[in-house]
Amino acid sequence: MNKSICIVFNKTPYGSQAGRELLDIALMAAAFDMPITALFVEQGVYQLLKGQEPDILDIKNHSATFKALPLYGIEDILVEEDALQKFNLNVQELVEIDGLKTISSSHAQSLLANSDFILTL
Amino acid sequence: MKSLYIINQPQKLNQALPFISEQDGILLIEDAVVVATYGSVQANHQTLYVLVEDLIARGLKDKVGVEQWNLVDYPQFVELTLQYDKSVSWL
Amino acid sequence: MATYSLLVTANPYSSQGQLSAIQFAKTLLEQGHELMRVFFYADGVLVASRLHAPPADEINLTKAWAKLAIEKDIELIACVTAANKRGIVNVAEAERNALTGNNLDPAFEISGLGQLTEAMLNSDRLITFG
Repeated sequence: MNKSICIVFNKTPYGSQAGRELLDIALMAAAFDMPITALFVEQGVYQLLKGQEPDILDIKNHSATFKALPLYGIEDILVEEDALQKFNLNVQELVEIDGLKTISSSHAQSLLANSDFILTL
Repeated sequence: MKSLYIINQPQKLNQALPFISEQDGILLIEDAVVVATYGSVQANHQTLYVLVEDLIARGLKDKVGVEQWNLVDYPQFVELTLQYDKSVSWL
Repeated sequence: MATYSLLVTANPYSSQGQLSAIQFAKTLLEQGHELMRVFFYADGVLVASRLHAPPADEINLTKAWAKLAIEKDIELIACVTAANKRGIVNVAEAERNALTGNNLDPAFEISGLGQLTEAMLNSDRLITFG
């Protein structure tokens, strides 16, 4: 069994390129057949918000790539429930990704405990 | 698996805490070492470490008053990364 | 003895991360562990330029990495996408992009993100310095 990796998105787009650069790592790890979980916590849930138009800032829109994650074999896409609540967001406002699930912080905790690698940027 | 959470900015500790399990360790480095001088932290049984070189550099070594914090140097930092199954830098 | 790889994303002269990574690397090598690879990503790639000229009484981070790499035979790899967009280019990338110069320090290599994944799969520990 290949080592597993959990990629943690914890920052808002587009003030930093952390989201985009983590996404690139996720896609590359998928090409190596590593089991991958994309976990969105804290302000990272804003990465998935629908209707982003960073083009008006001349920033490339990477949010569409999140939708394509299942095509790359990344099927565990998890969003922290508490963060959605805290920021007055609901799942319907997020980009539609097959298999996207919300999870509690304690579930996220055990998921992180069981991953071989955890990356944030 | 036991994880060593490495925190390098003070505000990141509280952000990371909800995701850190009881059996994990937390190591403060760089600017985050100031947190060890604040008094006690609402940690949940995790073992707490702070990098002594980063405290000394900031003139803070004698300001870690609470026994909650274990002072470690770089050789011990490396040992901790082996003692725990993995390291997580919560950036 | 364990095999380590490091992921370094810290901006070299704006933050402490590169120094922490160098200190960590030196310490693990002193303890007899192996350092397979240091992978530079995001702003971390900036350290791969050979054109940094810090004041004489300040550390030259590029040279500090290069010294480690040469003495201990360690791979220093900068992500090509992150490097190119930040103006860190080797001869081949300069030609490919029709640029007038190149600036990659000879101790560093430019390669793809696959080198990071491979480092994860082949090391006992990956430590990130951001």
